Amino acid sequence: MSCYERAFRRWVLVRLLPRAASARLIMMNRLALTVLWSAALLTPCVAQELAVKKGPTVTMAPAPLTTVTRGKSNSVELQFRVAAGFHINSNQPAERYLIPTAVKLDPPTDLVVGKTTYPPGKESSFAFAPDEKLSVYTGDFAVTVQVRPLASVLPGKYEIRGKLRYQACDNAQCYPAKTLPLQFEVKVVKAPVPPAKNPPQSPHEHR
Amino acid sequence: MKRDPVVILVVAMVVSLMLVFAINLVRHAPRKASAIQLNGQAPDFTLQALDGSSIRLSDFRGKVVVLNFWATWCEPCKVEMPWFVELQKQYGPSGLQFLGVAMDDASPKEIAGFAHDMGVNYPILLGQEAVGDAYGGVQFLPETFYINRDGKLVDRAFGLKGRGEIEDHVKKVLGLTGVAKN
Repeated sequence: MSCYERAFRRWVLVRLLPRAASARLIMMNRLALTVLWSAALLTPCVAQELAVKKGPTVTMAPAPLTTVTRGKSNSVELQFRVAAGFHINSNQPAERYLIPTAVKLDPPTDLVVGKTTYPPGKESSFAFAPDEKLSVYTGDFAVTVQVRPLASVLPGKYEIRGKLRYQACDNAQCYPAKTLPLQFEVKVVKAPVPPAKNPPQSPHEHR
Repeated sequence: MKRDPVVILVVAMVVSLMLVFAINLVRHAPRKASAIQLNGQAPDFTLQALDGSSIRLSDFRGKVVVLNFWATWCEPCKVEMPWFVELQKQYGPSGLQFLGVAMDDASPKEIAGFAHDMGVNYPILLGQEAVGDAYGGVQFLPETFYINRDGKLVDRAFGLKGRGEIEDHVKKVLGLTGVAKN
């Protein structure tokens, strides 16, 4: 029996309650009652429908503002979470036909994105192939990207956008590859001035 | 009975919100495989096979067709394929025909390489979204549809099923229920 059928049955039961029991209700607007009952009964069905429609997801935790030094390569860590019950291929899947998880960033002109470091996949077997080990990510995982602002860039906040491509499966089925939009900010600062060495003691330099 | 205008306003708002929500849900929700009617005619299609030929589903009328939507990136699909190969060998003479529909972004050459590696002995067709839509959207893989000799869709399986279950489906549609397994 579908959720909608169950809701309909509950609705019929409510409508068929003895009038004596609903004497107080009759005082109220019947139309209002009908609509509000329908809304209350259908809400779980709609929520269930949406949950099914949502399917497997990977989400990115809001990245804290990372301070990056101008002219230097800085690490920025991006945190992701795979929804419970699902797994996605690691960046180095066990087989060449599998779709790797990959981050692609599109930085502003004055920022250069360097090497992206992925965590090693967890070697796991699944019910559909108990003898086979797959390299996957489940739960939380982090990807580190190197960001190098050019020496000429003005200090300030810069937004970097990009995407995470992944392909998820559960224990019995796989879902087409999806793309998660990414967005985080970095704060570019000037390189700290190196501490001055012992200044010459006399106006004349001695070599 | 005097109606409270506040109540009427609240009711109107709830109804409006529900209507907007329902319309949005119907417009954007992909068609579900469950919406495909069993015992109805299986949606016909023509797709290109890996060898370049065109294959039409209705050309197999008179045979039992097991239509399997799969992809090279789908590990559970890969698990099923050797079973399909065995069942095709075993029940092919009884009128069984497996058809694989690759719902893949990979090139035909890569798909052909994969099928070759798996020893596939049945036609692999290059899937199109429209065909997937006709079978309910194929929102995940594998999805398998069982079509009887009259071209009617009589059974379906979503996700990976056990070999025994697949064979039971095949035997049932072939009308071989009760025949001992080899």
